[in-house]
Amino acid sequence: MTDKIDRNEILAAVRGVPLISTSAARLLELANRDDHNLLDIVNIVRCDAALTARILTAVNSATLRRGKEISSIDRAVAVMGEEMVTGFAMSDAAGLLFQSDLEGYAANRGDLWRHDLRTAIAAKKIAAHARSEVNAELAFTGGLLHDLGKAIISDFLKGRISGIVNNIETGKYPDYPSAEREELGVDHCDIGLELATYWGLPEPLRQVIRYHHHPLEAAPRFRPLVFVVHLGDIVAMMSGSGTGADAMRCNIAPAYTDYITLDKDDLARIIFAVETEFNTITSSLSDKGEGST
Amino acid sequence: MNNIKVVGVGGLAASNQADDIIKTFALGSCVAVIMLHPGARAVGMVHIALPDSAVARGNIGDRPGYFADTGIPALLKQMAALNWGVNDNRGMIVKLVGGAKVMDPNNVFTIGKRNILAVKKVLWSLGMGPRAEDVGGAISRTVTVPVATGQVHISSPGKEDWRI
Repeated sequence: MTDKIDRNEILAAVRGVPLISTSAARLLELANRDDHNLLDIVNIVRCDAALTARILTAVNSATLRRGKEISSIDRAVAVMGEEMVTGFAMSDAAGLLFQSDLEGYAANRGDLWRHDLRTAIAAKKIAAHARSEVNAELAFTGGLLHDLGKAIISDFLKGRISGIVNNIETGKYPDYPSAEREELGVDHCDIGLELATYWGLPEPLRQVIRYHHHPLEAAPRFRPLVFVVHLGDIVAMMSGSGTGADAMRCNIAPAYTDYITLDKDDLARIIFAVETEFNTITSSLSDKGEGST
Repeated sequence: MNNIKVVGVGGLAASNQADDIIKTFALGSCVAVIMLHPGARAVGMVHIALPDSAVARGNIGDRPGYFADTGIPALLKQMAALNWGVNDNRGMIVKLVGGAKVMDPNNVFTIGKRNILAVKKVLWSLGMGPRAEDVGGAISRTVTVPVATGQVHISSPGKEDWRI
């Protein structure tokens, strides 16, 4: 165990993060409700000029464009789908966090965004294999937001990476989140929850952010969703989209079989499908020099 | 000035240009198969993500390197185009890196282990085998191979670099 950081110091860093935009908050709230449709989403987007512009630009990018130019936001939202629209809104709202260089994890700028996006896509696909119904859009959004706590605690982990890695390899710490708790007194899930609460995110997303490494500890009604994102996180790391030193140093919760039915072939198909969709999205962003990937 | 050829997931590259460096980032359960042909002074690398292309149902697109069964033949073909006789694999040195493990008692997420086995089966079927390997473990690996030396350098955040 080394010098703990004052928890209040980390919480102060959370309160220094800008609040998310009204449109992002409304889209997240919508994702939490089953009784919504595309028009509800369009109505939120059209009130946000910057978001409208970004979506129209992306949908007309070389990668996503199919046929004629799309100039109506209704059509653009229909083409992109709800989860990508929410993704754009969140990347605007939390852009600085997604683009953190995660120096405390020895990652690179953009790694957090790539990891979260790949987790989101994987979670959406794994949701179809849940034993009880899981809202795929909510799984996507949960995947996108699950690790934002890392952007906050990264600064407090600087200089500790070699020691943490050594302690994991010698068996002193069982995994990276445990190492964070031993070193700092909190882990990225605790701090992610503080951020989610500060932003007023809905309860299912707070549960995902807090328990994505320990899904059995989530409230029973949210466990299927949390397990879906937990496995999406593992898929992202396996596929090479980690966040530096903690990649592959997190344990799987074996009880996932109680909530999700997956065999080896299902998993292989999901990994391949995620790769294709991930490349499509990241190319559509880089077409226009978005730079977030 | 070195020219870095980055091999993405499911990608492959081969070169006999001494200034080239072949590199792939953040191998999780994926396996990098590195081929060195001392006679031709050529280096190749493929970044394999899955054991078997059957899951793609014939739709592997422009990424034959994604699968062990299609990636290794594709890399050999690309290397054969570099100055020496087609299908001349004599003297080829093969090294493997990656295939990190996920401890899953349900044996579903153990893709790293299955990738390593699938790669070796394909190599054996071609009369080849790895000379050296750095595989398994709970670790992400980045691999860098300068064509000039053919040395396989491995790095991982929080650890000193090493070589095989």
